[in-house]
Amino acid sequence: MIRVLVADDSETILLLMRTRLELAGYEVETAADGQEVTELMQSGVPGELPDLLLLDAMMPRKSGIDALRELRAAGVDTPALIVSAHQDATDADAPSDLEVSGFVNKPIDFERLLDSIAELTS
Amino acid sequence: MSPSLANRLRIGFAIGFAVLTAMAVIGVGRFIQQRQDFEDAVARSYQVEMGARVRLAHGDGNRQAAEATVAAQGERREELRDQISADTRDTTLLVAAGLIAGLTGALLLFSGLIASMRRPLEELVDAAGRLAGGDRSARVQVGGLSETATLGAAFNEMADELEQEASQRDRLDRLKDEFVLTASHELRSPLTSVQGFAELLMLERDTLTPKQVETVEIILDNCRHLVRLLNDLLDLARSDAGRLAITPAPTEVGRLVDDAVRTMRAQTETANQALTQSVEADLPPIDVEADRIRQILVNLLTNAHEYSPEGASIEVTARAIDAEVEIAVTDNGPGIPESQLEHIFERFVRGDAGLTQRVGGTGLGLAISKSLVELHGGKLEVDSTPGIGSTFSFRLPASSR
Repeated sequence: MIRVLVADDSETILLLMRTRLELAGYEVETAADGQEVTELMQSGVPGELPDLLLLDAMMPRKSGIDALRELRAAGVDTPALIVSAHQDATDADAPSDLEVSGFVNKPIDFERLLDSIAELTS
Repeated sequence: MSPSLANRLRIGFAIGFAVLTAMAVIGVGRFIQQRQDFEDAVARSYQVEMGARVRLAHGDGNRQAAEATVAAQGERREELRDQISADTRDTTLLVAAGLIAGLTGALLLFSGLIASMRRPLEELVDAAGRLAGGDRSARVQVGGLSETATLGAAFNEMADELEQEASQRDRLDRLKDEFVLTASHELRSPLTSVQGFAELLMLERDTLTPKQVETVEIILDNCRHLVRLLNDLLDLARSDAGRLAITPAPTEVGRLVDDAVRTMRAQTETANQALTQSVEADLPPIDVEADRIRQILVNLLTNAHEYSPEGASIEVTARAIDAEVEIAVTDNGPGIPESQLEHIFERFVRGDAGLTQRVGGTGLGLAISKSLVELHGGKLEVDSTPGIGSTFSFRLPASSR
């Protein structure tokens, strides 16, 4: 089963994402901020690590962008989607060293999101 | 304390008056005195001559001496007459010289006054021009007469106030833009939840009653409306802040029209409206940001759809005019009264139909479309006749690449 790690500081959004992704057949792990993401990724058992990261760009303690920067520096190359509340964040906004696979704008168009996830994890 | 113009004029007039009066008094006094002396001397001369003539007539005394006296007195009076005419001429010249000196003095005084006003006035005129032209730092350093100094000080005070108000306004504008950006940003997360959970419900619509499905559809409709409103507000705030930017690329007009028409197709079909397109063959590409032009076209089509009755016709046309491409959206709806035409591009201004019919617009679409067209170097124009229909059109330069 494909694992997706979702990080967002809103529990409601996490619940929404989990329900929607599980309905689509994914296994979902959640994190409340970037700190939890890096900890999970670094302490996880190899082979049981997420296949995809879905990170909110703005979170307290550590943002999705900062978490991804640390992970990339540590050699983690898991594909990552950044969720942004900016209306028209585009791939061009991402620092090139982050290897962001794409941007997801809020409110989330789930059909498009599920298409992207399927494509990135196939 | 600077001397005042009024005081200088007063002093100038007083001095001038005093000089001229003094000249007149001295001149006339001298003239009268000289005349008096002359007449006295002539009288005395006649007396002496008369005495000599009496002595001659009586034959007493020295006859020769008396004759000499008569002759001498005749010469004496000649001399006196010469003397008085010379004196009169001198006095006249003196008075004339005095008058000329007085007038010259007055002239110099006035030209001095004018010169002392001219520089400050020129400086004021220059500064006022700069201030009107938007240079908020325009100030004057005016001395000289107290009137111009007061005027200069008042000008500076006014300019200070203007500058303060302008910077206050700039600050408020920035705050407003920041507020809209932040609000639109912050509202997106809860909106994501509302829309997302409503969509979740719709995924299980088989388990819902028709009434519940309708309810969820209303929630979703309103979510979409809120998203549109947020996007529109954000666009306008960016436009106001000068941060609405476009990345133009050569784009096929036909595809843009196709996309917009396809987006609107379902809605116009529901209202039984005929949505057609007529794009000239071999149109040159235009340098635009495709998403933004699509946004403009969808805005215009949405208006045509929402303000026109069921069964109306809506057409998108694109044609080449010289080195430009004109794109137009025409409907045969109710049209826009002339009194409203000049306001329709303003924010939150909606046509009468928007207030009476079920129109889902935000009242921001045309304001944004106008900004977006202008950002592309064009101008959004409207042509409408009540009862006949409306045409919204804009021209954009053909791509040079």
